[in-house]
Amino acid sequence: MIIFASHLLSGLAAPEPYLDPGSGSILLQLILAAILGVGVILRTQWSRIKSLFGRKDSSDEDIDDEE
Amino acid sequence: MTKNNIRSTASFRDPNGFIFKQNGVLYRQINQSYASEYALLMESGLYAKLTKAGSLISHEEVDIPPAEPVHSFKVIKPGYMPFISYPYEWSFGLLKEAARTTLSIQKRALKAGMVLKDASAYNIQFAKGRATLIDSLSFDIYHEGKPWVAYRQFCQHFLAPLALMAHTDIRLNQLLRAYIDGIPLDLASRLLPFRTRLNFGLLTHIHLHAHLQSQSTNPVERSKKGPGWMSRQAMQGLIESLESTVKKLNWKPAGTEWGNYYQITNYSDAAFQHKRDLIDKWVSRTEPKQVWDLGANDGTFSRLASDKGVLTISFDIDPAAVEQNYQRVKSENEQNIVPLILDLTNPSPAIGWHNRERESFIERAPADLALALALIHHLAISNNVPLPQLTDFFANVGKWLVIEFVPKSDSQVQKLLASRKDIFPNYTRDAFEGAFTKRFKIHEKVAVRESERFLYLMERKAVDL
Repeated sequence: MIIFASHLLSGLAAPEPYLDPGSGSILLQLILAAILGVGVILRTQWSRIKSLFGRKDSSDEDIDDEE
Repeated sequence: MTKNNIRSTASFRDPNGFIFKQNGVLYRQINQSYASEYALLMESGLYAKLTKAGSLISHEEVDIPPAEPVHSFKVIKPGYMPFISYPYEWSFGLLKEAARTTLSIQKRALKAGMVLKDASAYNIQFAKGRATLIDSLSFDIYHEGKPWVAYRQFCQHFLAPLALMAHTDIRLNQLLRAYIDGIPLDLASRLLPFRTRLNFGLLTHIHLHAHLQSQSTNPVERSKKGPGWMSRQAMQGLIESLESTVKKLNWKPAGTEWGNYYQITNYSDAAFQHKRDLIDKWVSRTEPKQVWDLGANDGTFSRLASDKGVLTISFDIDPAAVEQNYQRVKSENEQNIVPLILDLTNPSPAIGWHNRERESFIERAPADLALALALIHHLAISNNVPLPQLTDFFANVGKWLVIEFVPKSDSQVQKLLASRKDIFPNYTRDAFEGAFTKRFKIHEKVAVRESERFLYLMERKAVDL
């Protein structure tokens, strides 16, 4: 059992992180991944569709915009 | 490590490098274990982009002997950070700005194939009116599929305190002083009102997160599905979810003790103007590089220094006043003023491992010039500090001191004495001058027009050893 659990976590964590990511935090991210990932894909597709009609998405406040 | 090298007592967790001082100058050693990450940071354009935006500290590679040659890959000299502040000294707006900067760096890093390997609030400092990441070794190479290692740390250091400040009580930022690695999520979850469970971001990132942590001591049950995979889109979605959760958290300064202080002072316009003119003149005369305004309220007088281009740390006990001060810094894009929360009767202690990770308030002293305006009566009368102890404190805090003496006859002091016995027979101007001249030389002493107060310009005497 213990070996199996450590196998799970070693499969998930980045190589040699010095922070303990917390197994609960990893599980939550995997749960959220399904929901949030779909959201990003849908939004990307939607902004592509919008851009076909010449509308630019201005909602992003990323560092990129400061150039 | 040679005698000239002093390793920073706050820099020991990350095996990829550390901060050290050589002949008084701050350097960062990068170890060989970090060579490929450092190369990607510099060559991907990420470093250039972030430093240009002011969200990452700049550095130069230097050719000096490393502090620990065996592991050394490179030594860099980070840009100078003249004052270090800590998250428990930040008002709501500062902590929120630090959170948003951390997430925006994470987003930008992902585009460059990197990821933040930590999300500690202590890695953020405020300089030139901006939140800046000061740990150049915070970046790891991103491997698609891997969840975010620093997710929990981000929630503990940023999201939990912001949510508690916004939804429960603004003073709960002080929990950060007790918990150096951020507020435990189960504690945050218990302290937050039930309605926060109706907010998707707080429900998941705090409440569910806390619940899963308590469940996850035995993750074996869930392991049957095999190792999970977190796509790049999912990672991006996670960061955006955190961004929108943080963005929706707000707090408006209201209802605290000093919120409308300047509307209720007993100063006439002429007295106020006279006080301004004197401070303005004395700031110019003493030519400070750094000013600490103690009991600064919303920073009205701090700006007499910061507007001259002098870095000014504007301390006040009231989170509402500090927040108002910060909102002004932000809206007017002021570069030289950092508003911080500080209770002078119980200033920030040294905390962390060996009590040496985060410096106390006094360890960060002295400033070149300290301002103590309309302050001394609060310390002497409300907090019962005798004048000799006040003298010693101010002698530790500033090389120069502008201090206002508020006599007992002043209506503000009368208010403080209204509900208590006057046990302060020694609180007189003569006794004040007698005490302070033991440690200071009084250069100027001026009666403020149309008031009973006096302003002094003093210089600390050299310490007798």
